[in-house]
Amino acid sequence: MSDPNNPIPEQDPVVHSSLSKPLYISAALLVLCTVWALYDEVYAMRPWKSYQSRFAALYSEYLKKITPVEEADETKVKASGEYKRMEQQMADLRAKLGPKMSEMEREINQVLTPKIIDLNNAYQVLRSEISALTYQIEVASSDSSKNSLRADIEEIKKRMESVSLPEPDGALKKYEYSYAKMEEDLAKWRERKTQLLDRLAETRKPIMELDEKMSRFVADRGPELSGSVLRGLRAKLDNWDISIRQIHVRDVDLVDRCESCHLGIREPVTITAADMNGERAFTSHPRKELLKIHDPERFGCSPCHNGNGIATSSVTKGHGRHKYWLWPLYYPENVQAGCQHCHVKEIVTEFATALNEGRELFRRRGCIGCHRYEAYDRDWEELVATGQTIRNLEQQRADYQREIGVSTRRADVAKENSEAQRLYQHADNLRIRISGIDSRIEQLDLRTSDLWKEVKKVGPNLKDVRLKLRKEWVPVWIKDPHAWRPGAKMPTFRLTEEEVRAISAFIWQSGVNGPLAKHPQGNAERGKEALETRGCLACHSIGEGSQQEGGDFAANLSRMGEKINYDYMVRWIDNPRQRTLPYDPHEKRDLTEEDYKKAGVPFVFDNEHTVSPVNGRQLLVQNMTTMPHMRLSIEEARDIATYLMTRKRASFSFPPAGFMDDPKLKDRGRFLVRHYGCAACHEIAGLEDEQRIGTELTKEGSKPLERLDFALLTHDAYKEGWYNHKGFFENKLKNPAVFDKGKEKTDPLERLKMPNFNLEKKEVDALTTFLLGSVESPLPPRYHYNPPGQKQDIIEGWWLVRKYNCMGCHQLLIGQETVFMKMKRYEDPDWKEQRPPSLIGEGARVNPGWLKEFLENPALSESNKDRNGVRTYLKARMPTFYFSDGELRKLVLFFEALSNQAQPFIPSRLDPITEQERLLARALFTSEGAPCLKCHATGDPAHDARATAPNFVTAGQRLKPGWTKRWLLDPAMMIPGTAMPSGLFAREGDRWVFAGPLPAGFQNYRKDHADLLVRYMFSFTPDELARMRSSARSGN
Amino acid sequence: MNRSILITLGILPVLFLAACGGAKEEAKKDEAPAAAPAAAVDEASAASITGKVMFAGDKPTMRAISMDATPACSRQHSTPPKSEEVVLNADGSLANVFVYVKAGLTAQSWPTPTTPAKLDQKTCVYTPHVLGVMVNQDIEITNSDPTNHNIHPLPKSNREWNESQPPGGDAKVKQFPREELAIPIKCNVHPWMRSYVHVMSHPYFSVTGSDGTFSIKNLPPGEYTLEAWHEKYPAQEVKVKVGPKEEGKADFTIKG
Repeated sequence: MSDPNNPIPEQDPVVHSSLSKPLYISAALLVLCTVWALYDEVYAMRPWKSYQSRFAALYSEYLKKITPVEEADETKVKASGEYKRMEQQMADLRAKLGPKMSEMEREINQVLTPKIIDLNNAYQVLRSEISALTYQIEVASSDSSKNSLRADIEEIKKRMESVSLPEPDGALKKYEYSYAKMEEDLAKWRERKTQLLDRLAETRKPIMELDEKMSRFVADRGPELSGSVLRGLRAKLDNWDISIRQIHVRDVDLVDRCESCHLGIREPVTITAADMNGERAFTSHPRKELLKIHDPERFGCSPCHNGNGIATSSVTKGHGRHKYWLWPLYYPENVQAGCQHCHVKEIVTEFATALNEGRELFRRRGCIGCHRYEAYDRDWEELVATGQTIRNLEQQRADYQREIGVSTRRADVAKENSEAQRLYQHADNLRIRISGIDSRIEQLDLRTSDLWKEVKKVGPNLKDVRLKLRKEWVPVWIKDPHAWRPGAKMPTFRLTEEEVRAISAFIWQSGVNGPLAKHPQGNAERGKEALETRGCLACHSIGEGSQQEGGDFAANLSRMGEKINYDYMVRWIDNPRQRTLPYDPHEKRDLTEEDYKKAGVPFVFDNEHTVSPVNGRQLLVQNMTTMPHMRLSIEEARDIATYLMTRKRASFSFPPAGFMDDPKLKDRGRFLVRHYGCAACHEIAGLEDEQRIGTELTKEGSKPLERLDFALLTHDAYKEGWYNHKGFFENKLKNPAVFDKGKEKTDPLERLKMPNFNLEKKEVDALTTFLLGSVESPLPPRYHYNPPGQKQDIIEGWWLVRKYNCMGCHQLLIGQETVFMKMKRYEDPDWKEQRPPSLIGEGARVNPGWLKEFLENPALSESNKDRNGVRTYLKARMPTFYFSDGELRKLVLFFEALSNQAQPFIPSRLDPITEQERLLARALFTSEGAPCLKCHATGDPAHDARATAPNFVTAGQRLKPGWTKRWLLDPAMMIPGTAMPSGLFAREGDRWVFAGPLPAGFQNYRKDHADLLVRYMFSFTPDELARMRSSARSGN
Repeated sequence: MNRSILITLGILPVLFLAACGGAKEEAKKDEAPAAAPAAAVDEASAASITGKVMFAGDKPTMRAISMDATPACSRQHSTPPKSEEVVLNADGSLANVFVYVKAGLTAQSWPTPTTPAKLDQKTCVYTPHVLGVMVNQDIEITNSDPTNHNIHPLPKSNREWNESQPPGGDAKVKQFPREELAIPIKCNVHPWMRSYVHVMSHPYFSVTGSDGTFSIKNLPPGEYTLEAWHEKYPAQEVKVKVGPKEEGKADFTIKG
């Protein structure tokens, strides 16, 4: 309220009120904002710009550093004697051919070419005049005008033109030319020029060849990059342009700007972080060969690595490592998850070692028993589906039978003949249909029999426990397998004492009692040697802690003596596939001798006797183990079993387990066994058809995060930064019970069921990689690796190779290590050659028909199975795997495809060998100078006792001639370090000759010696073999 | 967007760049020191170490080698030769022991000898049985037998190879580019043949002969660890200190 007596004088706004302050502040803010906006625009939102300038600086410095070194390397190579010799040769050649060549060049360039050009000019003028007139003739309407135009053309052709043509000395000289003469001369000179050019090229050829040889010499021995490439790279950096580097694949809407910061990825120089002042962002791609297969211009970066390829405003956003991006960049330990995006059907992908390990663990550790995963365990699914189809067909057959009866009865009483005829016809038609069904069932039955050979279980058959195990050991094992055998395949379940007792009792009481032959003791010392050298350790390991040796495919055998029954062990080693009783899937029980007796058939079941005496359907006659038949003598099996019985701790004891015979525990045990899914890995009486109890994991990596149950740990996970798929998988795998933490679960059955595998960090990473990559890929199907033809054979084959652990003994991938390569004994120079052969290139080496026979019967003999068919000298035994027909076919096609062999195989025809050549070849083969027969077996027992290399006799059936020749010439190219020496042949002109003293008669032989030996080997007859053996005996 | 975040965002790259700028300067200092050049040992002050390798324990009996599989070999021996795994001299000393300086040398590089070492295949055995060479030194391998041999070294650090050498063939000249103790050399054709090649980065090594002695000359004065290697028995180490022009003594006893 203002005082009316003392009015406040009206203030002059101009004098008293100023907006300058707010205006000033606003203006200042505006300026600041502008500056900030500009800064943001140019710099802050574009961190890649500083990356680019840093890269340019660091890279050019690095190039400067390496250029002199690389150039010095190049200079050193060029200073070598061999290069100097080539330079001399080059100088000689140039001196010899130079004058000739320059004479030809002179004629071409100084005589012919200028003359041709000048005459051609004149000629073209006339020709165009003629062409113009010809066109006018074509468009002229009247004959008379056509004729007059024709006369004009004749006129032109007759006209004499004066043309100045250059002389060789450059002076011009005038000539008079008619049109026809021009054509003639031009043709003549052109022909001459072509001739000269051809001759020039011919003359220059040796120079060009030598030149190429010289640059190859430098490239092969010199630095990674030649000086000129390095100079090019430095020039590029001098004109460095700071701009977004982007890959855009239009049809899949893929935009990846990763290379805006990761500038070194595709550089030809190998750049490590150390070269770039520790900045990992600037390294070149560590696997250049992968970029060759997956061209970044087509594949981009993010389809493999994840991350947000479009984002450029910060590292976090670009890498997609925040909660709003579904596909965060993979961490280095999981980087191969990206391979799984597209390589979904494979178990082995070349270069993806960690991912392969994860896929293999998923299979080998039995994850697949509880969790379905597409592509895994297809044989089981096919078996189920086939069984279902057979049942449907049988149902249909029965329906038809009934209908035949009905139809026939109605026909019998039909009023009209025509009606009766129709009904009889209908019944007959159904009979034909039934016969069709029968043949279909027959086929499916065969496939079933095949499939029963293929299906395997991860764990042992529990029907045999009573025959096989020490009773008291069972509950100890079930309680905690890892406490008794660290690293055991079987995981530790969270069981109460009561549960352990009930499960043990059920397992024990459901076991079969079968006949078990008694065996005398063997020799433990011989058994140890056999176990260590026959190949058992390719899958099994023995020894504990630092003493442990062997593979991790199958169980550690160190404490076998504590748990096993000797007689069962002998039978198992003798042939692990031999079942105690056959299983009839239709009756859903093991058949007994009784069943066979009732049907009046002998009690025999094996791969030749697979039909059920009860219902005529296919039986399971093998144990579902991948362990093969080693074809050892029964004595050797006893020796090994005897040795294994000695493998036990100095003192051990198991508490008494009388409760296992308590029938009251059986039902509770059965319930628990089903609850925990034991039948996923084990064959258990009455539970053969159990279903998987876990969730399917085929697309687990792209399951929405909120559907992964972090339970009470959600908050912690979020705070600690592992609220993502990787965090879930890793923690679950490390401790499967982890998400029960803090939960109130009074009933043990409510708890999470997944058992603890006690995985090592490396295994957790491998499995996490596999699961992270198991996604619903956002990429279109054409990116998925689903190759046509033979590449499919490779994919299929790897599943078998893994299933039977072929890589425990054999090398199949370049750079892959076998178990034998890691065993101490096999490092010894004498034992090294006892390693099983490498199979890299096997498809190129062997005849596929032979390979099939060999895989089926590796002894290659019907009478003597206790031997290797090819490498009789190897102590390690190629076992019999009892492959199904389908598996045999897949394996053969796999090896063929892996070596890029054309399908179907057609043996190449060799030139027949003449009698004269046969004599020469035999003389060379058996001569002192040639080492062939000193190592290779010939089938002569006295000679072969000392042999250390495969038998020649089978070469013709076993090998492919092209491979054989390449092997003879340079075996180290195929198998570095092989016992077969290189340098047996030397190049002489266009043929290979034996590099040693030649037997008489070779002076006049002009053909290739390696070819001769190959043709000789491939034409062996029994007579020739006898002659070769006898001359080998007398010669050496 | 929150203003403070914007400003922070604006400032961050500046700090970031500043930090990186600092890092760049450090890089320049980080030049790797060049390897010390080949140094000539001062002849005037050079020391030497000599000694003898004795054998203690039960005298091993060596098995006779049967060369019957290759008559061209067995013909050259009137009686079957003995395995050279252990060669015991009459005075109880041990031959074919490789004695070398294992530690104590300063880091430097020594020139590669220009004369080649020789390995001959004669009467179907390797001569010498134990050979010391320097890295990249030429090894001239010859076949003096009337039969074919193949030379197959089985190294761990060097590259493995296996080449055939026919009777009367040219000498092969080979080198091993990496230092490695005891590379076994074998012949696949004649499994009894064995030799060991030791590849050293320095010239201070010696192989005992028929008197069991060795001598390492031209050493710079200093304190060294010598090792005596034998193909069958565990290696022995001895420490020796030698002053200028001094002759050090190092005797070994290899226990059987």
